[in-house]
Amino acid sequence: MNRNTRVTIFAGLLILVLLVTGLLVTFPAVPADIPKKTVVVYTSVDQIYSEPVFHDFENETGIRVLAVYDVEATKTTGLVNRLIAEKNRPRADVFWSGEFGQTILLKNESVLTAYSSPSAADIPPQFLDEDDYWTGFGGRARVFIVNTDRLTPDQYPESIYDLLSARYAGNTVGIAYPMFGTTATHAAALYSYLGTDEARGFFTNISNREVRVVDGNSVVRDLVVDGQLAFGLTDTDDACGAVEKGAHVAIIVPDQGEGRMGTLVIPNTVALIAGAPHPDEAKAFIDYVLDKKTEDAMVNSGWIQIPSRDVPTKTACMNITGIKAMNISYQEVYTGIPATQKDLIEIFIR
Amino acid sequence: MVALFIILVLSPLAGLCLDLLYDFLSGTLDLSVLTFFSPRRLWLLFASIGLAATVAGSGILVGVLVVSLLWRIAKKGLVIVLLTVLALAAIPPYIHALTWSSLLGYLTGFLPGLTMTGWGISYWVELMALIPLATLLVWIAFASVDPALVEAGRVFRPDMDAFLHIHLPLAAPALGASFGFLFLLCCSDYSIPSLFGADVYALEIFAQFSASGSSALAFLYALPLMVVMIAVIIASRSGIRTLAQTPDWLSDRKGTAPLFPWPFILLQVLACGVVLFQILVLVSGLLLTTGTMSTLTRSVEMAQGELVYSLLVAAGVVIVSLPLALAAAHELKQPGLRGGISWGLVLLPLAMPASLTGIGLILFWNTPGMAVIYPDLLMPVLAGVARFAPFAAIILFVQLRFIDPVLFDAAAVFSRSLLKTWVRVRLPLYVPGLLVAAGILAALTLAELGATLVVAPPGYGTITLRIYNYLHYGSAGEVAGLCLMITILCLIVGVCTVVAVTWLYRDGREKRPEGDPVHDRS
Repeated sequence: MNRNTRVTIFAGLLILVLLVTGLLVTFPAVPADIPKKTVVVYTSVDQIYSEPVFHDFENETGIRVLAVYDVEATKTTGLVNRLIAEKNRPRADVFWSGEFGQTILLKNESVLTAYSSPSAADIPPQFLDEDDYWTGFGGRARVFIVNTDRLTPDQYPESIYDLLSARYAGNTVGIAYPMFGTTATHAAALYSYLGTDEARGFFTNISNREVRVVDGNSVVRDLVVDGQLAFGLTDTDDACGAVEKGAHVAIIVPDQGEGRMGTLVIPNTVALIAGAPHPDEAKAFIDYVLDKKTEDAMVNSGWIQIPSRDVPTKTACMNITGIKAMNISYQEVYTGIPATQKDLIEIFIR
Repeated sequence: MVALFIILVLSPLAGLCLDLLYDFLSGTLDLSVLTFFSPRRLWLLFASIGLAATVAGSGILVGVLVVSLLWRIAKKGLVIVLLTVLALAAIPPYIHALTWSSLLGYLTGFLPGLTMTGWGISYWVELMALIPLATLLVWIAFASVDPALVEAGRVFRPDMDAFLHIHLPLAAPALGASFGFLFLLCCSDYSIPSLFGADVYALEIFAQFSASGSSALAFLYALPLMVVMIAVIIASRSGIRTLAQTPDWLSDRKGTAPLFPWPFILLQVLACGVVLFQILVLVSGLLLTTGTMSTLTRSVEMAQGELVYSLLVAAGVVIVSLPLALAAAHELKQPGLRGGISWGLVLLPLAMPASLTGIGLILFWNTPGMAVIYPDLLMPVLAGVARFAPFAAIILFVQLRFIDPVLFDAAAVFSRSLLKTWVRVRLPLYVPGLLVAAGILAALTLAELGATLVVAPPGYGTITLRIYNYLHYGSAGEVAGLCLMITILCLIVGVCTVVAVTWLYRDGREKRPEGDPVHDRS
């Protein structure tokens, strides 16, 4: 075989590969038994937790879920901004968030439409939007994760003010950047609860004493598990994940004593997109997610630690009985988020 | 083809500009919040530029020392080294950083004074994350030098002089371009510095984006960094345009091994040690974290769909980018104003932050006029093309400069058909550049996150998205398993490509005419 023949064969094979790849990208293989009804769900809930819910919904209703997931690394600039960019021609049907701030932002950006789900009838009113643009249900709380090899129980922190305590060196305690994700929501809640001046002073002191400020709540958890930090502020799902994997850590709910402010409880929120391409399927999905049975399944899977209703499954990684939640209004917290974020950008990014 | 290239790579920018204009005209853009030049922001900008320049400069330095030592090893050995660094370049930089974070955390047990935060550690980890790519780029730069010129110098002067005064200056333009490339990657990355407590301007852009929810405002905030990046790209451009010519990137470097003074050899060995250490840290970290074969197979099983889709997207980016980039590369060769404009249009998209590229693509394709042809499933491919096709155009431009245009003229005169000219003359001459560009495009696409996340079609995800999802969940074993799988896949694809090319050109090298002045230059 001479070189010209080989080049011709090679070029032919290359063209064939190009054609096949092009076809596969454009028309990926779809199993024949896929139902025709679909619902497009954009979710910031971890894929590991949300995927089983989608599968159960598909099995129960025959409606296929096409999901788009967010990741922590993109600093909440992912799905929410995508939804805003797609506002004039929506491609999503449902937004399911692991917190409430971004959902209220979408309501204000006219991305959402009202829907009152019958499944939400037994959800307490503080979880519901007054205009039915979104519905909250069980969620997570802000907690300390403590490395038990580095701290003895009498050294465990009790309050978020322990982040400023001289008992702990600044570089042995950590939080995530308070401009992003649930830490941003927590920061806005503190601004709302404590007032701007006190909250600003709190975060300025955190910055000044060089508390380790890292890329996300999961990084806080990993650094505590590694023993690089003695304790850090994170979400219950992150902390419980470490406990379930057998890491030498303990979970402490901060500010639970008499006269203390309590901790922030962050509910999941689900909302219908205005102009959704599949509105009926979207409503069916929202009804399914808000069902008490689904909330129970999510407690069981480890996504929800603080259920909104009395569900049979109990959170195994921590004692949630009588958790004192911060007495704040979600709407107020949301309203404060932009100003808080701008303040915190000045304090922490420098 | 050139018009299509420009549309595809500039569509995100066009989308953002239209959004900015719309917000401005409708009065919804609050320009009063823009204070580009506050002391804090200026400091961030200078610190980011300093970090990126230091990392890129160090990467080039280490790469030069490593490649100068490897330069005369047998071609098989060279191919193995290049494939290894290419495969490692496909692992997201954040994974490199996490491996280093674990190692440093372990070391603090023995060295309590070891600092885990700050600019120093950020610099080191960023450098380590980019070192595989830096080595690859420096090899390309060295391969752009005609070996005959170096050999001629070695006849009259010591090897060190020939290296310093001939080889290095001839490679300098391409090294400058490599510096620019590394600078861009480092400048737009906030993940590694923020993991180690160093704040950079890229983080500021994302923080403002998150706070305002306005892509138009985020675009304006990104402008100062984009201006710096564009300036670096333009400086790199002038370097690329003055490249020396050489006939073959993959030819054996024959002749006696150079004799360098021992201090230089020591530096070379040290640099090789640094690269080997990085490979060791990463691979051993991944292997140890993966733990067992069952973890590897489980993680691959769970991410089968993403794995296939990622490979298809990477292949799609290569397929779409290469012909368009080849056409663009021809335009880059044009002299005068036309060439200058072409360079500007090709290089402009490189300065765009990744997530803004994604948002810009949606704004462009989801507009009323374009929505009918909204390419849902192809959006990640378009994102990859928009972000990385300019790199392919530059690489192919370098390759075009290596080709004697007389060969094309001769083919045009003597060939019976256009197809035969392409298959038998043009394609074989383009192949080295196409392969290098394809490898770099595939590696960058596999590791891409920011733009893909924003445009991924419902129901489909890439392997990098899955990795970052696992990261949040704390599944270190699964993350390591998937990264190992990416490395192995890249190696397999690379080996297959090398075998195919060797088979393709086998008798071309065997029957090389003796005394041929062109082929005997090396």
